[in-house]
Amino acid sequence: MNHYKLPAGVQDLLPEEYYNVSLLTEKLKNKFRLAGCRFLESSAIEYYDTFAEIRNRIPQRQMFKMTDGDGSLLVLRPDMTLAVARMAATKLKDPSGRFAYVSEVWNNAETAGNMSRRGYLQAGVEFLGVSGAFSDAQAIAFAVECMKETGLDDFTVDVGHVGFFKGLLSGLGVNEEYTEKVRVSINAKDSVGTMLALKEAGVDGRAAEALLSLPSLFGGEEVFSRAEKLTEDKGALSALEHLKKVHALLKEFGLEKYVSFDLGTVKSLSYYSGIVFTGLTGALGAPVLSGGRYDYLADDFGKHIPAVGFAMGLKRILMALESKGKVEKLPAPDAVIVAKEGAEATAYREYLRLTGEGKTADLYTGSEKEGIRYAAERNAKCVLVAEKEGVKRL
Amino acid sequence: MITVALAKGRLANESAELFEKCGIDASVVFSDTRKLVLESADKKFSFFLVKPSDVPTYVEYGIADMGIVGKDTLLEHEKDLYEMLDLKFEPCKLCVAGYPEKKELLTNPHLRVATKYVHTARKLYAGRGEDVEIIPLNGSIELAPVTGLSDVIFDVVQTGSTLRANGLVVLEEVFDVSARLVVNKVSLKRKADVILPIIDRMKAIVG
Repeated sequence: MNHYKLPAGVQDLLPEEYYNVSLLTEKLKNKFRLAGCRFLESSAIEYYDTFAEIRNRIPQRQMFKMTDGDGSLLVLRPDMTLAVARMAATKLKDPSGRFAYVSEVWNNAETAGNMSRRGYLQAGVEFLGVSGAFSDAQAIAFAVECMKETGLDDFTVDVGHVGFFKGLLSGLGVNEEYTEKVRVSINAKDSVGTMLALKEAGVDGRAAEALLSLPSLFGGEEVFSRAEKLTEDKGALSALEHLKKVHALLKEFGLEKYVSFDLGTVKSLSYYSGIVFTGLTGALGAPVLSGGRYDYLADDFGKHIPAVGFAMGLKRILMALESKGKVEKLPAPDAVIVAKEGAEATAYREYLRLTGEGKTADLYTGSEKEGIRYAAERNAKCVLVAEKEGVKRL
Repeated sequence: MITVALAKGRLANESAELFEKCGIDASVVFSDTRKLVLESADKKFSFFLVKPSDVPTYVEYGIADMGIVGKDTLLEHEKDLYEMLDLKFEPCKLCVAGYPEKKELLTNPHLRVATKYVHTARKLYAGRGEDVEIIPLNGSIELAPVTGLSDVIFDVVQTGSTLRANGLVVLEEVFDVSARLVVNKVSLKRKADVILPIIDRMKAIVG
C-alpha cells in the first residue's frame, strides 16, 4: 500500500486542468442561469436506502458504501437526478420550474461504459413539472445550446423514445426479467442476442419481427415512416407520434442538423419513461451528454412530478476539447512583486493597490534574482521590485 | 479515416479477407511488417492487430471505430459497444465439459469449474443460483478435470477431439460463439456514411 497514491478510477485536478474545468463550468452555469435555472446542491452522502428502496434502484455493487455511527448504511451520491427528484418531492414548496447543478457523482463499478472512471463531475439541468412535446423539444434544444456553449462544433444529439420499445412488448405477457434481457440486447444493437432473448421470452410473429428491426431503426426522420409500418400497437404509435411532434418543433427551431434519431436506444426502463437522448461528438468515443424524460422518478419520494433533463460529463467534454486543441493555458499573472529587504511593507501596499484594481499580483517571498526567475516561469506580464525608495518596474 | 481493431491470428486474416470482399483495401494486414498501425494504401482505413481480448477495449474507447472479435471474448469482457453483425466465421461453442459422472466428494459439495472465461462462468452459475468454485486457468483447460484440479471445465469446444482423447464429454452446450463485428457507439452515428455501407455489404456476404 502506497500512502501517497490514489485509488483506481479517481483523479486529482492540477492547476491547468482545474482552470479549464472551471472555464467550462462557468460557461455552462451562465447558460443555465440565462435559461432561468435555479441552482441546487444535494448532500454528497446519503442513505443507502434512498437509492436502493425505490423501483429504479441503483445496483448495490455500483455504490460506494460506508456505515454510519448508528449502523445505518450510507452511500456517496451515485446519481444526481434521483437526488434532485428527492429534494423536489420532499423539500421544495413548488416543485416545478428549471433547476440546475454542477456536482460530482460516484459509481463504484468497474463496468463497461465508464472509461475506467469512478467519480464524475456533471453539469446538468432538470425541467420539473412539465410534460408534452414542447417541453421535450426545449430540453433537446437546450442540450444542443449547451453542447455549442462548450466550444464543441462537431456534435449530434441522438434521440430515442423508450415508449416505442415498451409498446412493442406490451400485451405479450413478457415478464420483467425477459424484458430486461431483450432491452439490453437491443440497446447493444446485438441482433443475435435479441433473437435468442425473444425466443426465450416466447415472443414470435410480427412483434418479434418489429423488435428485431429496432437495432437498425436509426438515422434521420425517415426512421419514423419505417417504424410506423412495424406495428399497430397504440402505445408504440403514440410514442412515435410524440417523437414526430418533437422533431417538427426542432426543425422549426432551426436545429434539425444537430439531431438524429435512434429507436433502438432503449435506456433503463425503470428510470426513463419517454424520450431519451445522448450527446455525441466525433472528438470522443463515448457520449458526453445523456438525458431523457423521467416522469415517475419522484413518485418513489412521495410526489408525482413529470420531468425531463440531462447531465453533461465535464471530464469527457474536456477530453474532446483537448483532442481538438481547444484548451486554454493558465493565464499569466499581471505582476509578480519582489520585495527587497526592508521594503516588505512597500511591496505589500503595491500588492493591495494592484489587486484592488482587479489585477492579479503575486507577492514573492525570496531574493530578487529568484523572484525574477519565478516571474519568468509564470510568464508574468511585469516584474515589480519594491525598494525603500519605491517600486521599480523591471 | 476509419480505424479497425482486429484480433491477431487466424481471425485477423479471415477478417481482412472479408474487408477485401467488401471492396476495402486490407492487403496491408497480410504484409510482413513490424508496424503496429497498418494503413491502407488509399489512407482511408487503418488496422491494428491486437490480442483478441483487447479488441472490445479499443472499440469501447473509440480508438478503433470498429473491430472483429469472437463472441466468447465479448461475453467475457462486457464492454459498452454495438454488436452489429454475426459474421459466422470461427464457429464454436462455449461448453461445460467433464467426465460423464461427477465423483461425489464429501469435502467438495460444490462443483469446481476450471475456465479461462472467469467472468462469463461466474455470471452463468450465479444466474442459475448455483454455488460453484471457479478456478481460473490460462491454457490446457482440459488438464484440470484429468488431474483432479476441477470437476468440470467451461471452455470453447471446436471439434472436441482433445476432450475425447482424454475421456471427457460435453455435458452442456451453453453459448454458440462466432466472430462478431463490433462498432463504437459514437462512430456508428458520427461516421454512418462510411460504416453503414460496410455493414450492409458484410451482411450481404455472410448472409
